[in-house]
Amino acid sequence: MPYAVIRFSVLAVMAIAVLAPLSLVGYQSFLSAPFFDSMARFTLDAYRFVFAESDFWVAFGTTLIVAGGMTVIALPLGAMLAFLMVRTDLPGRAWLEPMILIPLFVSAVVLAFGYVVALGPVGIVSTHVKALIGFIPWNIYSLTSLVVIAGLAHVPHVYLYTAAALRGLASDMEEAARVTGAGPWRVALNVSLPMVMPSMLFAGVLVFFLGFELFGLPLVLGDPQGLLVLTTYLYKLTNKLGVPSYQLMAVVVVVIVAVTAPLVYMQRILLRQAQRYVSVRGKGLKQAPLPLGPWRWVALAAILAWFTVTVIVPIAGITLRSFVVSWGEGVKLMEVLTLDHYRELLDYPNVIRGILNTLAIGVIGGAIAVVCYTAIALAIHRWQSGWTRVVDYLAMAPRAMPGLVAGLAMLWVFLFFKPFSPLKATLFSVWLAYTIVWLAYGMRLISGTLLQVGPELEESARTIGASALRTQLDITVPLIRYGFIASWLLIFLIFVREYSTGVYLLGPGTEVIGSLLVSLWGTGAVDLVSALSVVNVVMIALGLVVALRMGVRLHG
Amino acid sequence: MADLTVHSLGLRLGDNEILRGVSMSVPRGKVVAFLGPSGSGKTTLLRAIAGLETPHTGSIKIGDRALFDASRGINLPAEQRGLGLVFQSYALWPHRTVFDNVAYGLKLRKVSGDERKRRVEAALTHIGLGHLAARYPHQLSGGQQQRVALARALVYEPPVILLDEPLSNLDAKLREEARAWLRQLIVSLDLSALCVTHDQVEAMAIADKIVLLNGGVIEQEGTPTELYSQPRTLFAAEFMGSNNRLAGESAGGGKLRIGNDVLEGVARGDAPSGAPAVGVIRLERVKVVDAPGPNRIRMELKTQMYLGERFELVFALDKMLIRAYADEERALGSHYVEFPKDALWVFPQG
Amino acid sequence: MRFLTLAAALLFSFSAAAQTPAGYPADYGKTVDAAKKEGKLVIYATTDAVAANPLVKDFESLYPGISVEYSDLNSTEVYNRFISESAAGSTADFIWSSAMDLQVKLVAEGKALAYASPEIPNLPKWAVWKNEAYGTTNEPIAFVYNKRIVPAGDVPQTHAALEKLLAAKPDFYKGKVTAYDPERSGVGYLFVNEDVKNWPDAWNLFREFGKTGARLYTSAGAMMERVGSGEHLIGYGIFGSYAIARAKKDPGIGIVLPKDFTLITSRVAFISKQAQHPNAAKLFLDYMLSKRGQTIIANQALLYSLRDDVEGPASAKAVRDEVGDKARPVEIGPGLLENLDQMKRLAFLKKWQAAMKGQ
Repeated sequence: MPYAVIRFSVLAVMAIAVLAPLSLVGYQSFLSAPFFDSMARFTLDAYRFVFAESDFWVAFGTTLIVAGGMTVIALPLGAMLAFLMVRTDLPGRAWLEPMILIPLFVSAVVLAFGYVVALGPVGIVSTHVKALIGFIPWNIYSLTSLVVIAGLAHVPHVYLYTAAALRGLASDMEEAARVTGAGPWRVALNVSLPMVMPSMLFAGVLVFFLGFELFGLPLVLGDPQGLLVLTTYLYKLTNKLGVPSYQLMAVVVVVIVAVTAPLVYMQRILLRQAQRYVSVRGKGLKQAPLPLGPWRWVALAAILAWFTVTVIVPIAGITLRSFVVSWGEGVKLMEVLTLDHYRELLDYPNVIRGILNTLAIGVIGGAIAVVCYTAIALAIHRWQSGWTRVVDYLAMAPRAMPGLVAGLAMLWVFLFFKPFSPLKATLFSVWLAYTIVWLAYGMRLISGTLLQVGPELEESARTIGASALRTQLDITVPLIRYGFIASWLLIFLIFVREYSTGVYLLGPGTEVIGSLLVSLWGTGAVDLVSALSVVNVVMIALGLVVALRMGVRLHG
Repeated sequence: MADLTVHSLGLRLGDNEILRGVSMSVPRGKVVAFLGPSGSGKTTLLRAIAGLETPHTGSIKIGDRALFDASRGINLPAEQRGLGLVFQSYALWPHRTVFDNVAYGLKLRKVSGDERKRRVEAALTHIGLGHLAARYPHQLSGGQQQRVALARALVYEPPVILLDEPLSNLDAKLREEARAWLRQLIVSLDLSALCVTHDQVEAMAIADKIVLLNGGVIEQEGTPTELYSQPRTLFAAEFMGSNNRLAGESAGGGKLRIGNDVLEGVARGDAPSGAPAVGVIRLERVKVVDAPGPNRIRMELKTQMYLGERFELVFALDKMLIRAYADEERALGSHYVEFPKDALWVFPQG
Repeated sequence: MRFLTLAAALLFSFSAAAQTPAGYPADYGKTVDAAKKEGKLVIYATTDAVAANPLVKDFESLYPGISVEYSDLNSTEVYNRFISESAAGSTADFIWSSAMDLQVKLVAEGKALAYASPEIPNLPKWAVWKNEAYGTTNEPIAFVYNKRIVPAGDVPQTHAALEKLLAAKPDFYKGKVTAYDPERSGVGYLFVNEDVKNWPDAWNLFREFGKTGARLYTSAGAMMERVGSGEHLIGYGIFGSYAIARAKKDPGIGIVLPKDFTLITSRVAFISKQAQHPNAAKLFLDYMLSKRGQTIIANQALLYSLRDDVEGPASAKAVRDEVGDKARPVEIGPGLLENLDQMKRLAFLKKWQAAMKGQ
């Protein structure tokens, strides 16, 4: 079969997979009833209703505040952290690096539960503080807390891109400045900082964009005081009219995508610009680290403090909660320790299924996803055509949908296309939703690995007589074996951490830990939630350990 | 086996015209070298012949069979051209043994296992690496890798073999041995070969014919002797060999006036009297003498450098610097430098 | 020999008795046989799988040969799945949900199979509609409170007492009361609507909620958790079943069935018209309404049984013992459809929002 036909088929499937959910959502937003309802008519009523709702605009405004606040917090902290790690003699950098990236892999819902349990009004830490100073100086359910927590949790995102940019800086520019007489700190400010501006700008837009996608944190932390962001507003819409109203939900989705899609494309442009500043000069130019003097210990302490607040407090909180019967004011911790909640997990067949499904989706689903991403990446690998741009944009489209929305859209796709309906209740629907949502990420992982194969290795095969397809199968793919394993691990971690995408697809047979956590939290089964969260954390931790042992670079 | 002919090939990369109408041929059984500075288009031309770049006009044929013909819309993909290509970096596949690297071409052509084994082993023995068949490329030296790359390209007996800077990755010492060996191998196999190089010494040593490229067009084409002794343009003259450049004015009929001296040389191109002209003479033709005479200029010996097999002397007169060779040291100070008439080429400037 | 005969006789009588419960029509055996041929029963329900387990297991032991596929979903999910699958042509057989209004809506739209259960004479009138929708439980809606922190004298025994308490001690109870959010929870909307129907002064109570900054949630579990931990002190409008199940584990939780009036809600069940296993569904419905099934509901599932002749901690009897004739069941019928009327709903919610601001 001519290679062009294979390539076209692969890309056509990808295009359909990407465009179907989005188009369906758009279509639904212009109907008066669920699209499978024979009484549905074309109308703008859904838009009118939503735009007339003050709650909608409040949610929109809150989302803007949260996204903006997060960026304002994460950007400077992340940049400073990157600078400290890459350019100074901060002690302990070797083990700090993987530590800093851990928040990337913790499920947001788990984090949120942990905060409630640890820092809530009757949280473990709160009660101690109250005993000490008589009151609790914070309110975990306020908008401020939400913004602060979200901001702190996104520091690693900014760190990743800024650190990569700093590392890629050709040191001869800095050295030239040094030779003409500028001291090391001056060099940092006047030479290094402007050079990483594009990367920082990119990271800023990324964090702002992620603010629109937040679901787990606002769901758990915003609920008590009725704080709504667009995603949780969407989640709540289900009951507004008493009857689930798909058309209203579709309108909210359209609004969210209208905001996030431009952000996604802006990111692409910014990333390109940022990469121009990164000179990939192979042989590891050793940049002399700037001395911090006595400030190194202050810096280290600050970083550890950030890590404690962002990771240790919530995870320790949720772990502790999973081992106690009850907690709060007047409860003595030592008296209530128990393993019961873990035993209880066994009583819930859907929870057991959920754990197994999560493993299956992570391991098997992850492998299959990697194969799909590879097929698509190979199809555009070294393809001289304007179409690669189109494919790139297509791949980015699902990124504009928050996971929650993607799962919903996937549900509707399965409902709409009758032949697919039986698959809706199987794990396949969840896997498909995950694979589509993370398409851009997965493709970037694989493409990056593919590009490491020198073009001459492929060209030599071509001149010897191997067709394009044979070359890819005989030469390119075998050479990136290691890259596959690394990608598989990263995808495994992403899939296991996932929680929002599976929410609307949740049902018997499609349970995964993440969506179960959301659902169980909704029913208030905090015992189960804690135990299950710990299971999730352990799974991810194991995955991370394997990845680190194998030397997989966690930046993606 | 037939001639490889290239006719009026034009190739654009983005907005750049890399090749601007190149026509040449590789006669059967001959070695042709593409020579030129970087950016001249020589590598692009090679890759276009191999099918790795696509020209927009012209044709590439082997005998009557067209590999590329813009007017007829023919553009065979690389894998169907049946040529051999040896890359500058050798491009051996690291995940396959030497044997598998070489056997790949035969496997693609569906040669049976036994036959394949026989031919691969024969090829490896021919290049002297039969004992390394089971090794992996990273276990071989640079020179050995180069030979494996050659064997890989030759094993399926292509009509023409293309080599991209085959010796540039080798150490200086190895290069001299390797170029002899390479030429010998190609000649003994009666192959047609096309070799890209930036090193004119290498080109002259290996090739039967040199094609000198400059800015996407052919500057001059001919045997090494022709190119070395009878350059047609200033560029060709200065590219080959080690030269002295004398800037001055034409005095008509191949005469060059430099300051107060007039030298007689061979006119190359038309330089009307009074127009600026450039004299070019190979270093080894410059003679150092002790007495004035025709075509001799008095100059100061400023420096001399010992090169091992000879001395290189640097003379100066006002702003003009002349380099010459000598077998022995000379005393610094005033000497006469002779520019033999038949060795001095006078080109119009510009 | 005698032993074997006795055993055989017992076995025979047991299985015979199991096949056709007393008082059932003579041809019930046909339904049983048909159900056994069907061999399967698909249920969508909002009752927790763990709570429903004793019921399902007992049913399966009563009618061996019928395997039950039980899906535990939230009420929105049940509704969504049912309508989308009905449009596609095939869905579950037995739908059992605590969202009374949504269930009634589906029945009103003609999605239910009409079936006169032999147990109807044993059920209260309000629990059966058109022989299509059946209430299966008799759940009181209770107050819960944190025994450790709420002073014994404060514990409100009536709605009016709660209102007075909040007016008298606004600082102590600031942010400490929790209730369903009628805007985000269908069940919550139902409860406050019924409160207003039964007690004209309900809006005063709601205004007190607003003034003391009551926290509104969408799940009873979340509210129970926070009352248990002391983050909140009083929970309003909690399903009795949740309360009783939670109090079993956490002795710090106190339950009050308000004495001025106690709402009674019921988990409504119907058999899908498109059911692929209609006879099995009939058997299950009858089983749930039978004394045997209701006894399990009262004692193991703790969902509050409906029948008068059943004893247990979670039974209609227990409710009557506590509140006498002040029980106010929500009638299963077209009245519930009002809740889904958009204009009425939005108007009510507007008034509610004002009350939450203390107006």
